[in-house]
Amino acid sequence: MFPWVYGFEWTAGNVIFLGLFFTVVIVILTTVTVAVVRSRRAFKERRHHEVKWESTFEDLGSEARPCRHQLSGETDQRMCRHGFECKDCSFHKQMLDSAYKLVEAESDRYYHRGHAWVRKESYSTVIIGLDDFATRIVGPKARAKLPKIGRMIHENGTAWRFLLGDESVRVLAPVSGQVIEHGGPDRGWYLKVKLLDQGADLRHLLTGNEVNPWMEYEMARLIRMIPESCQAGLTEDGQLVDDVTAKCPSLEWDLVCSEILLEP
Amino acid sequence: MDKTAISRGLQRAPLGQFLLWLGPWIALLVFGVYCAYLCLRYGLHLTNMDNRFAFGAWIFLDLTVIALGAGAFFTGFLLYILKRKELRAVINSAVTIGFICYSGAVVILMVDVGQPLRAWFTFWHPNVHSMLTEVTFCITCYLGVLAFEYIPILLKNRKLRQIPSFLVFEFNMHKVMYVLAGAGTFLSFFHQGSLGGLYGVLNGRPFVYRESFGIWPTTFFLFIVSAAAAGPSFILLTTWITSKVTKKRLVTQEVYESLGKISGYILIGYVLFKTIDTLVWISMTAPGMGVHPDSFFASKPGYTALHLLEVTIFGFLPMAIYMTKRLRSQIKWLVTAAVLTCLGIVVNRYILTIQTLALPTLPFDELLSYMPSWQETGAFLMVIAYGMIVYSLSFRYANLFPLERELQRN
Repeated sequence: MFPWVYGFEWTAGNVIFLGLFFTVVIVILTTVTVAVVRSRRAFKERRHHEVKWESTFEDLGSEARPCRHQLSGETDQRMCRHGFECKDCSFHKQMLDSAYKLVEAESDRYYHRGHAWVRKESYSTVIIGLDDFATRIVGPKARAKLPKIGRMIHENGTAWRFLLGDESVRVLAPVSGQVIEHGGPDRGWYLKVKLLDQGADLRHLLTGNEVNPWMEYEMARLIRMIPESCQAGLTEDGQLVDDVTAKCPSLEWDLVCSEILLEP
Repeated sequence: MDKTAISRGLQRAPLGQFLLWLGPWIALLVFGVYCAYLCLRYGLHLTNMDNRFAFGAWIFLDLTVIALGAGAFFTGFLLYILKRKELRAVINSAVTIGFICYSGAVVILMVDVGQPLRAWFTFWHPNVHSMLTEVTFCITCYLGVLAFEYIPILLKNRKLRQIPSFLVFEFNMHKVMYVLAGAGTFLSFFHQGSLGGLYGVLNGRPFVYRESFGIWPTTFFLFIVSAAAAGPSFILLTTWITSKVTKKRLVTQEVYESLGKISGYILIGYVLFKTIDTLVWISMTAPGMGVHPDSFFASKPGYTALHLLEVTIFGFLPMAIYMTKRLRSQIKWLVTAAVLTCLGIVVNRYILTIQTLALPTLPFDELLSYMPSWQETGAFLMVIAYGMIVYSLSFRYANLFPLERELQRN
């Protein structure tokens, strides 16, 4: 197998055969090594949260990934391929630069596609909550497990988790920063965060006219998950009920929450 | 109990029912391992193989599963290199089946060589003039490639993906998968071919000896083409069987039709090539060696008929079904064609292994008969049981069919 092994001869057959073999082995081992090195580098540079999100995003169904400009009716059916990182998206830039401009939102909230919202408190602090739609799906019985004060959260990483019995789902963090205060359902928000970057870049979050079409889209997605027999009981006085899965016993809390909160 | 280990949105049988399904396979596996142990402990004389009949049920099984497992490399090639995106729906299943087939083949080879602890000799002192050397090297390498392709499928398990390093590693492996797919295609091309070339160079056996292109006999190319044709058919068949057993819709009709169409196109080439090759063998090669093809199985005409069946019923017929749009749009015809294609592989490998060795080579030799012993059969069934267990566990805990969740909802 190797030149130093007894019986080896430098014949054309040996050279070609073993040459090809070792080339293929080196290619395979190099490929796997590259994957390992890239993984280690991601951890070293603390980019593993971004990589995790990229991987998770790829596993989301096409229904969960419509482009924000499709939701607002500005474009035909279009799927997001950038992990909802609209600030890096050339199409989003193109849409912003085009004649059709979004009206500035009256609401002071910016919405993440995973249903967390952000409101600026000061230049470098924000509060993060969960929108009403997701709150009604998670339900009042679920307990929020918040990260410790001082802990870092990363954009598109885990902000906090909801626990119900043995099941748990995570809420995606809309921004990166350090947790400085806890809230709760009674305060209307869950985390107060000191931002990593001075003056947060919130361009990847939905705001203004985009929010209502997105909510309608999410409602349609929810209805498709619910058996027909339960659909009638989904709303009371025109509003979604407080605890969606409680109204429909055949529906699994874990399944519905993970679909809406984008956890495959 | 194991619900949190099952992917979200996927319905699986209760654990008790699943264990009941696994029970008989585990029992068969244990029996098979015992048979293999007996052969390793007491020697190959426990089998019905001997110096004269050196290849038996195990090699026949090896050749068959290696050909059927070709779906892994071919689907990978079509998806990652030729960008046939619809095959993303079955690539995980194809890789799992490939891994099972090749690892099972290697296990049975370890028993068949009699002294597996000396198996490293073939690497350390390779005889580069032997087709088998090429087969050994490539199959070992390709098993490694399949293992590297299979690991990310496992790492995507709902519990395992919560470990950040696993998810990040899986993501980075996915990014380089096209390199592994290319390497796998290259390796498979050669070992599938060399398995065929192994028989085509036997100039002491006119039944299998064939004309060559360069150093490679026609059986080299026929094996490659037949494996490429059988691979998608086997994937189609296993997907359909899994769908029936689990009572779930796993892929769309478009995916089945795509697999059938690919298989059909390759079968056109195979049937044509095989027909020409057989005619050349009948008219030139065998008579040139002083043997008329009629005489091989003069006392057993059914064996000769098997040759004809291989090309017509198991070659031409499924090809015609696959290439007829009206039939291809019906799942029952697709499955029929897939069964026939896979049986064609089985028949072809049987003819080349068992029939070839049964024929006499010396003037005083007689036509031999061979029936595997119970220990051989047990070891053979061990591989089947191993495959069923690994596939069942993979189906339950890994997401083998990415479209399943969406189809279930619809």
